[in-house]
Amino acid sequence: MAKLTIDGGAIEVADGTSLFDACRLARGEALPHFCYHPDLSIAGVCRLCQVEVEGMPKLTIACNTAVRDGMVVHTRSEKVRKASQQILEMHLINHPVDCPICDQAGECGLQNQYMAYGLYDSQVTQGDKVHKTKAQVIGPEVILDKERCVLCSRCVRFCNEVTKTGELGIFNRGDRAEIGVAPGQQLDNAYSVNTVDICPVGALTSRDFRFQKRVWMLKSADGVCAGCATGCNVRIDHEAGRVYRLKPRRNAQVNGSWMCDEGRHTYKAVHADDRLVEPMWRGQAVTWADAKVRLAEVAAGGFALVVGSAHQALEELCLLKQVAAGAALSGGLAGSDMGVGDDILRSADRTPNRRGLALAGFAEHGAIELAALIRAAKGAILVHGGDPAAAPEVAAALAGRQDVVYVGTHRRATAQAAALALPGATWAEKAGIFVNRQGRAQAFAQAVARPGQAREDWRVLAELLPAPAAAPGSLKVLREAVRAQLALDVDLDRLPADGALTGGEA
Amino acid sequence: MSFEGLSKESTEKRRSLLESIYLWEVVKGLAVTGRHLVHNIFHTGDMPTMQYPEEKRVYSDRFRGRHRLMKREDGTPRCVACQMCSTYCPADCITITAAEHPDPAIEKYPATFDIDLLRCVYCGLCEEACPCDAIRMDTGIYEIAADSRDKFVVDKEFLLNEQTRGTR
Repeated sequence: MAKLTIDGGAIEVADGTSLFDACRLARGEALPHFCYHPDLSIAGVCRLCQVEVEGMPKLTIACNTAVRDGMVVHTRSEKVRKASQQILEMHLINHPVDCPICDQAGECGLQNQYMAYGLYDSQVTQGDKVHKTKAQVIGPEVILDKERCVLCSRCVRFCNEVTKTGELGIFNRGDRAEIGVAPGQQLDNAYSVNTVDICPVGALTSRDFRFQKRVWMLKSADGVCAGCATGCNVRIDHEAGRVYRLKPRRNAQVNGSWMCDEGRHTYKAVHADDRLVEPMWRGQAVTWADAKVRLAEVAAGGFALVVGSAHQALEELCLLKQVAAGAALSGGLAGSDMGVGDDILRSADRTPNRRGLALAGFAEHGAIELAALIRAAKGAILVHGGDPAAAPEVAAALAGRQDVVYVGTHRRATAQAAALALPGATWAEKAGIFVNRQGRAQAFAQAVARPGQAREDWRVLAELLPAPAAAPGSLKVLREAVRAQLALDVDLDRLPADGALTGGEA
Repeated sequence: MSFEGLSKESTEKRRSLLESIYLWEVVKGLAVTGRHLVHNIFHTGDMPTMQYPEEKRVYSDRFRGRHRLMKREDGTPRCVACQMCSTYCPADCITITAAEHPDPAIEKYPATFDIDLLRCVYCGLCEEACPCDAIRMDTGIYEIAADSRDKFVVDKEFLLNEQTRGTR
């Protein structure tokens, strides 16, 4: 442990901690910076995080200085303030200051830090700024504006260190230095939009989000990406009932500061044209009141087979098991929703809650097995989420049955095959818990309102319980019941920020 | 608050006999009316009433009328779709969707630019927020009337057209 004094206050940190992190702890906020990033190597190129260390002849950058016992550090002295001002002034010499039309405005490091430390009365007198290429498409997801770049090299380090693809580099020298892709190359790795996230200015912008919304209009909710079993922590940015983008939230245990490009596009399914927005009875839209009458006809004697899905939240799966009340259970199609995985973040398993499905006691079946279960069912069938009828064997088994109830979000094969389809909520429209591939239970919050007549899945399922009077009154009550049912020793309603491991193999 | 000490009597003045007959007071009132009538017949210029719409009040040059969008020299809108105006607008009446401009030197342009004139409070903050002097309220147009609500939502083409008046 090293004891040091920062801005007059004593603080004790572990040996080897960077002075930058120690200062963040002591000050409660980070030092001004562009190039430092907790999940990348130290570059020390922006020179913004300079602090005064007693005994050192000159100011030193905090990010590349390790703490030493007995250090006396000043971060708010006049000398430090002047240095930050002058460095920012240098960064601005060739920056276009086109904030009104820049997509980064509102979440820009240069803007925010200039507001805090800027030298408002500029001392730079020069003619025209150095002009560079604007709005250059450098990949399927990213557009580069070389003029706005402050050469912090975060994007270059990301491509070298995280994806190890090395598409980006800094070319030329002096005020002609610029970020670029090697000739004939493209920034087209599976994680390319992370460079947009870590870009402190508007040099790299996302083609998907570009110009869609000014960022100050967006509201945020904490979510968990439903794109694969990794369960990257995300921030759901939304406005007026529409999700505009997903951004990674830092969770060192799961995704670091990153998420994949594929995951960022998962919000599009929330607003897809084929959303199931009203109850459907044999292909006709009906009211919930009518749907309940039909439900009573179809499932008068309870269900003979209940099919869950790895796309549903843990609470819903546990409630679904109660709805089954001893009927045959299936976790849906084994091996469905598989894609390409890698050793960075993406899992081949493209469902968010397959571990949760197993935890809740559902076993998945192959298409032929599931079709056999359906044929063997001597009563109504309840399918919750997923799309098992995408498999031709299952579709054939479901065909002609008039006692299939589907609770889901999209009008896909299973919804079409069902006699009664009830509209549920997607991950952006409800709160819940997913258990990721590590067995880590992570909570996600509701971001936007549900479209049309759609309802929270657990409320729909509660109506299907054999004894509706015993239905949980709130999600909190349901979570408590889930905790008891699964014998977990964590409060599911107040999961820690980085999730809680539920046991079992990792 | 206490009501103690307040008189329970009506504060109304007692009427005199002449007043309580009313007729004399009516005659007095008619005399005032008649006096103004005769005065207006012989001094029409003194009347505060204007013969609108034949006759119109002259407003100051600073009067904030219906908005217009300015054009560049090549005829395209000056607006760069930065949405400063819609951010600043207290009535939330401006809706802009931005799109990529084919010329890389121009970042973006307004694919749509709609103003709901029924929501607008004519405060002029949009003019002030605009970094490009693209939106102005100097048309002097204040006759904004239509027979359906959707006609009050005016679009980019309408605002750019110098010939348009009032609403759609």
